[in-house]
Amino acid sequence: MSHAVISCLHANLAATEAVLADIDRQGIEHITCLGDLVGYGPQPNEVVELIRQRQIPTCQGCWDEDIIDGLNSCECSYPSQLAERRGHRAHQWTDAQLSEENKAFLASLPMTVRRERLLFVHGSPNSQHEYLLPDMDAFAALERVESSGADTLFCGHTHMPYVRELSGGSIRVKVKQAGEEAASERKLELPMRRIVNAGSVGEPRHGSTEATYVIHHEDSDEIEIREVAYDIERTCRAIVDGGLPEVFAWRLSHGFEYAERADDASHVCER
Amino acid sequence: MAQTWLISGPPGCGKTTWMLNTLKNHQGQRGYLRLPGISTAGLEQADDGGIDQTYLQDQITDLIDLSNTDQAPNDQEQQLNLVELTQFEPPSSSALEGVDSSVIQQLEALGLRLDRALHFGRDDDLPKDDTLEFSRLEAWSMPLERCVWDPNSLSSFWFELVNGAYGDVYRAKALMNLPDGRAFFCNWMVSQGGSQFLPLESVAPPDGRPKRCSMLSVQGKALDGGGIQATIADCLLSDEVLELHQEPQRQQAELTQAL
Repeated sequence: MSHAVISCLHANLAATEAVLADIDRQGIEHITCLGDLVGYGPQPNEVVELIRQRQIPTCQGCWDEDIIDGLNSCECSYPSQLAERRGHRAHQWTDAQLSEENKAFLASLPMTVRRERLLFVHGSPNSQHEYLLPDMDAFAALERVESSGADTLFCGHTHMPYVRELSGGSIRVKVKQAGEEAASERKLELPMRRIVNAGSVGEPRHGSTEATYVIHHEDSDEIEIREVAYDIERTCRAIVDGGLPEVFAWRLSHGFEYAERADDASHVCER
Repeated sequence: MAQTWLISGPPGCGKTTWMLNTLKNHQGQRGYLRLPGISTAGLEQADDGGIDQTYLQDQITDLIDLSNTDQAPNDQEQQLNLVELTQFEPPSSSALEGVDSSVIQQLEALGLRLDRALHFGRDDDLPKDDTLEFSRLEAWSMPLERCVWDPNSLSSFWFELVNGAYGDVYRAKALMNLPDGRAFFCNWMVSQGGSQFLPLESVAPPDGRPKRCSMLSVQGKALDGGGIQATIADCLLSDEVLELHQEPQRQQAELTQAL
């Protein structure tokens, strides 16, 4: 059996439809969504309703949380004043567009979805706002997976798809008990753990404009990163027609994040 | 006797850089003048707003401003005067007779007489790498005096500007102030691989908004001036935020003085 994992749809209906069609063509029935259904993109209601209609198990992303709890719920720093102002503008626009019913749906989403030894989160097991970057410290990465009790951790948020295998990890514990002269030492060898980032359906930033998601082939335990072309012009027209900043359309059509430079997603949320 | 040379060429061909290097290497007194360019059909001249003058003056502190006839003599022995002129089409003749009569008149009014005229793309004494021919060119500029940029926002804005988010930009240059008192000469040309960000030598004190020349000048096609302006508004620091940057600088300066 195979299942698909999608993330960071960002109100991009054309991209979401294209990815779901790609999944359907392969006969995959099980899909998990890692959140950020809304934010920056022009069709938040349509995307939320599509996910609801397809009854796709979904965990809550940082944008989904912020649109419910208000901007102050996220203390994540933007990389620049320009990015912050654009982010706030997109937040206000999305807040005004989104129906109460769809807001209630976003509010109901869980932080994590678990299936046996697979854990699905938006950012990290600690927070929807934490970035698990592909080159983060190996010990910290292993800690995130191991402490959550998962073999494989599926995440999104960075908009860059990757598979990172964490092997050769061990924990050494030295204990000196009362009455004993020498401390006893134990060493635990950890089995391989894995972080899989699903990339982004609606706001790719992996060097191409194509939507990305991943397929987990459970029989072989292999991960396949998929890229899907979609009608970007349709989304760009919706951005302009909807009254969002026109520069968002330019950035999307060139494969840059809406409000940040493409080569600067390295800031780490301290929330 | 002083030597006075006219250096002309299309936008972004490297006039200012060549003049800076030539003036820096000259042993005697040095003078500079920028003349307003001559627009022709469909080819608009950019409003430089003093960007080149300010940058050169910063790099060569004793540079004589030839537009100011009261400042200093312009005909000292071994003095080299360079006159910059943006001119799209090569002059009709390589000799001084090819220089436009309006240029001669402007120079005579300042007491200057040309000894030599060099044009980028024509004369072998000048580099040819970046000389482009334009068929149509719009110009857009925005004065930014006393404006201070959020540094990361400036980086994002410049990236968008030169990569086409606000129209087909062929040429962009600017003097931009940062909150630490530094200013940068930002320079980009479509034929070049990347942008130049050259710091000025002079640093403004952490005492409110800097008073030096600051300006953005862009040339290209289908320029979205409204879009540029809107983005710039999101990049500039308010008085309150600027003060947050400057207060620690003042405290640091006081501490350094006390030691």
